[in-house]
Amino acid sequence: MARRLASSDRGAGPYVWRFSRLERSLHAMVIVSFFGLVITGTPLLYSHMPWARAMIRLVGGFQAAGLIHRICAVITFGYFFIHVGHLTYRIAKSTDKKRFFWGPDSMVAGPKDFQDIREMFKWFFGKGPRPRFDRFNYMDKLDYWGEFWGVAVIGGSGLVLWFPVFFSKILPGWIFNVATIIHGIEALLATGIIFTIHFFNVNLRPEKFPVDVVMFTGRATLDYMKEEHPLQYERLAREGRIEDMIAPPPSRAAYLWSVSLGLIGLSLGILLIGLIIWALIQGGWR
Amino acid sequence: MRERERGRVRRIRSLLPVVLVFGLAVGPNASTTAAQVEDQEPSVVTCNTCHGDPDFLIGKGSPDRQAALLVPDSALSDTVHKEVACADCHPGPAMGYPHGPLAALSCGTCHESEQTDWEVSVHALNVVESGDAPTRVGCHGTHEVYSIDDRRSPTYPLNVATLCGRCHADPSIIGTYFSAPEEAQARVAVEQYHQTVHGVALEEAGLVISATCNDCHQSHRVLPAESPESSVNRVNVVETCGVCHVGVLETYEEGSAHGEAYRAHLRTPTGYEAPACVDCHSAHRIVEADEPKWFLGVVEECGKCHQDVYETYFSTYHGQVTQLGFELTAKCSDCHTPHNMRPASDPESTVHPLNLVATCAKCHPAANQNFVRYYAHGDTRDRERYPVLFWSWLFMTTLLVSVWSFFGLHSVLWLVRLAVERVRGGSAGHGT
Repeated sequence: MARRLASSDRGAGPYVWRFSRLERSLHAMVIVSFFGLVITGTPLLYSHMPWARAMIRLVGGFQAAGLIHRICAVITFGYFFIHVGHLTYRIAKSTDKKRFFWGPDSMVAGPKDFQDIREMFKWFFGKGPRPRFDRFNYMDKLDYWGEFWGVAVIGGSGLVLWFPVFFSKILPGWIFNVATIIHGIEALLATGIIFTIHFFNVNLRPEKFPVDVVMFTGRATLDYMKEEHPLQYERLAREGRIEDMIAPPPSRAAYLWSVSLGLIGLSLGILLIGLIIWALIQGGWR
Repeated sequence: MRERERGRVRRIRSLLPVVLVFGLAVGPNASTTAAQVEDQEPSVVTCNTCHGDPDFLIGKGSPDRQAALLVPDSALSDTVHKEVACADCHPGPAMGYPHGPLAALSCGTCHESEQTDWEVSVHALNVVESGDAPTRVGCHGTHEVYSIDDRRSPTYPLNVATLCGRCHADPSIIGTYFSAPEEAQARVAVEQYHQTVHGVALEEAGLVISATCNDCHQSHRVLPAESPESSVNRVNVVETCGVCHVGVLETYEEGSAHGEAYRAHLRTPTGYEAPACVDCHSAHRIVEADEPKWFLGVVEECGKCHQDVYETYFSTYHGQVTQLGFELTAKCSDCHTPHNMRPASDPESTVHPLNLVATCAKCHPAANQNFVRYYAHGDTRDRERYPVLFWSWLFMTTLLVSVWSFFGLHSVLWLVRLAVERVRGGSAGHGT
């Protein structure tokens, strides 16, 4: 079969697992809640734009937007704590703590990640070979820790704005001004990173264009692993563990759903970034 | 005014016998009192003899002319002029029959001040200059003149907008008189009036005390708004609105920052005069309270002078929701009051530190001393007054710009490298 649309299906080889069901479910919660938050929050930041007015009407007015925003915030806190809880459980259960934190399956940034960044820039300027990655590269780790930082900062400032009565018992009122500034700019940073950098890294760069659905189906071809995560492939081959990771190909329905939703999400994100850029060009940075 | 008119009518009645002695045409109701009947000489021909007889008028002109000449006594019997003699309005030498066209009307004989007022009005000026502006009969009718309290009168409050609209809503007329671009407002004034609170109150709620055209523009002394004599000129308009809005006028004049500045004829550095009623409310612009256009309009008006606080307002949730077109969040007047706006240093001001809790509590019932330390007009660019906002903003902006630029550059360089390799025919080289 010729190469299909999704870059996670490149080549002919068998499929191997990359993401667990829990990881994919949490990522789906991220997608749904993040779009909800951006669509209901961005109009406030750019209220002078005609599209902001249309968008807020589309979701049913500013009070409905506020409700959706809070529901999505709850989902955000939900996946955050499910993940932290599960992580704690896995840490407790792990027999090799050193490997858990510093091994190839960990999201902890190690010396190799910083070395990879250096080598990547050397490669950009033609001064060295392209670095080879294991299971998670530094871009994956940026996304992961960006999520941690973002949920903490945006979530924290958001809670202050959500419960002003409670917070005004202990903090002066200008904390709401500060929370508004932090919430808005950090949200814009998150939106900017996810809809441009994350989208580029996992979907839009030529090696992956137009879409990579490994986070939806949980599996990708062996050729994908060889190209995107060569060190992981070599390591698993050396240890003879490839066989354990073989996955059945995704069902046709699951594949089509994944590609469709992936492309819809991509388009929507790019549209939103376009609207924000339009607003910034017209209204300046304030 | 009405007392004065009644006085005049009595005076005219006392003159009637004199009129009759000279053989002039008698008033339509002259025969109603015994005294007048006694005075009437049999040989005298009354106006009614001819003007009350349709047959007599046949052949005295076109059918329209004949209809106009037919003025039987009964035509005036239930008008305010029922006791006025024909000759009071049609003076001159026209006695007996046949007689030529009668002299011009002279409402001023009785309605002196109205006549004087009308003579200086823009209408009178146009009668002289162009000959087509409304004369007295244009508004009040010829023989069917009713009191302004009479539902049938064109000058009854419910009919005034229609009356003025006869000319001011006629495209051919307003297109001639108000053709200049700066007169665009005048071209749509009557049309818009129906949608103003005044128009809606009058026409939909039937509230006859609601203002109609003549309440603001005057009935007779109608002058262009540019004229300092005009009731709707900036210098007079506060008094004009205050005729009905007495309570608002008091609040505005007794200590509001606007009222004080208005009295002192102060101007802003940018040349704006202190705001009078029409600056915030506008006279004829569409006033629909549930339309974002309206309350945004008020904020815009405030912003014309209060530029800084206008901009900072829109960086708060209050302003953002307002700008998105919703009514619920606080607008200028919700905190500063619509008419009693005073500087924060004034202990009677709603935004004086001692009153802030009460003011914020109107919408935020749990507001306390901490809560009201919110900067309702915080400015991230003002490092002196709002250092905490300035530094929060700077830190967050630096973070955003540096993180996004770094990884943006990273992506761009990545693309460039792949393009270079493709041009050179090399492989994109996954992990090679």
